[in-house]
Amino acid sequence: MQESLALTRLLNQLFGPMVAAAMRVVGLHPAHPATPIDNTFALEFLVVFGLIVFFLIVRLTLSVEKPNPAQQVAEMIHEFTGSQAESVIGHGYERFQAFVTCVGLFIVLNNLIGLLIGFPGVETPTGNPSVPLGIAVLTFLYYNYHGLRVHGPIGYAKQFAGPIWWMSPLLFPVEIVSHLARMMSLTIRLYANMLASDMLTLAFFSLIPLLVPTAFLGLHFAVALIQAYVFMLLSIIYLGLAVSEEH
Amino acid sequence: MRKLQNVFMALAALCFAMPVFADSGSAPANLAPIGVGLAMGLAAGLCGLGQGRAVGSATEALARNPGTRAGLMTFMIIGLAFIESLTLFTLVMVLIEIKRGS
Repeated sequence: MQESLALTRLLNQLFGPMVAAAMRVVGLHPAHPATPIDNTFALEFLVVFGLIVFFLIVRLTLSVEKPNPAQQVAEMIHEFTGSQAESVIGHGYERFQAFVTCVGLFIVLNNLIGLLIGFPGVETPTGNPSVPLGIAVLTFLYYNYHGLRVHGPIGYAKQFAGPIWWMSPLLFPVEIVSHLARMMSLTIRLYANMLASDMLTLAFFSLIPLLVPTAFLGLHFAVALIQAYVFMLLSIIYLGLAVSEEH
Repeated sequence: MRKLQNVFMALAALCFAMPVFADSGSAPANLAPIGVGLAMGLAAGLCGLGQGRAVGSATEALARNPGTRAGLMTFMIIGLAFIESLTLFTLVMVLIEIKRGS
């Protein structure tokens, strides 16, 4: 087993037996029964905790006259995701902005933790396929739920059938497969990008441990930001397609 | 003449291929490293061609009409992400193959 972070050890001491018992109830067997919580989960937990603290600070210190730095950062994020969502979804985008903002922030912070790759035990949480898969499944459920809510079951099924009625038996399976493939492509895009960036950075660190890897850390940084942006934008686009009135 | 040349080239390649197949009779040679290298090289190279076309067209459009910058950037990044994801599928398959081989 690789080195574990202090946070992982703490979480395992506090919740380890409980988590292991819960996993056994649903029929899963953790690889290490004594320490079921791994570094990936601990870092994810850290990100979620940090985001909640940030949101709480912003909410509690909200002020019109004297906006503090946290509020200004939050306003910048809000404006950015709002403009993206409005340009794609159009009217009525406010309803989905909270979800896509959370997805974007969660992914960007998880990706950026991967920049601390030199420290023992730190690994990019999004470089583990189960983390992007979780977010992709959540996105899939969310946009299908809103598609169903807006169009109703029959109207939403009509979106799958295509414009010509006698083509629908052909198009229906194709559409179903393409919707499921969205989940796969979202997962693999994020996971493989972060894994490849990690491996590239590590490879150059092991070749020349001085100065040169900094350039690749810069590349890693850019990839982390762009992939989080792409994931957010794609979830906005899928939402927009699901709730749009006319194709 | 051209056809004859192609035939001879194919035959020459086969000449080199024979010893490889003859050797593998005793102990199967592990060709997975060559395979994954070729796969990744092909995927990355073709992805580079595709992305080059996409970025080239986007830059051209930007030069013609700089006002479309915001909308163009979004579409370009989405397109690049889709093209790149095909290469990443190859990468994932290569990683699976390496893990299975070792």
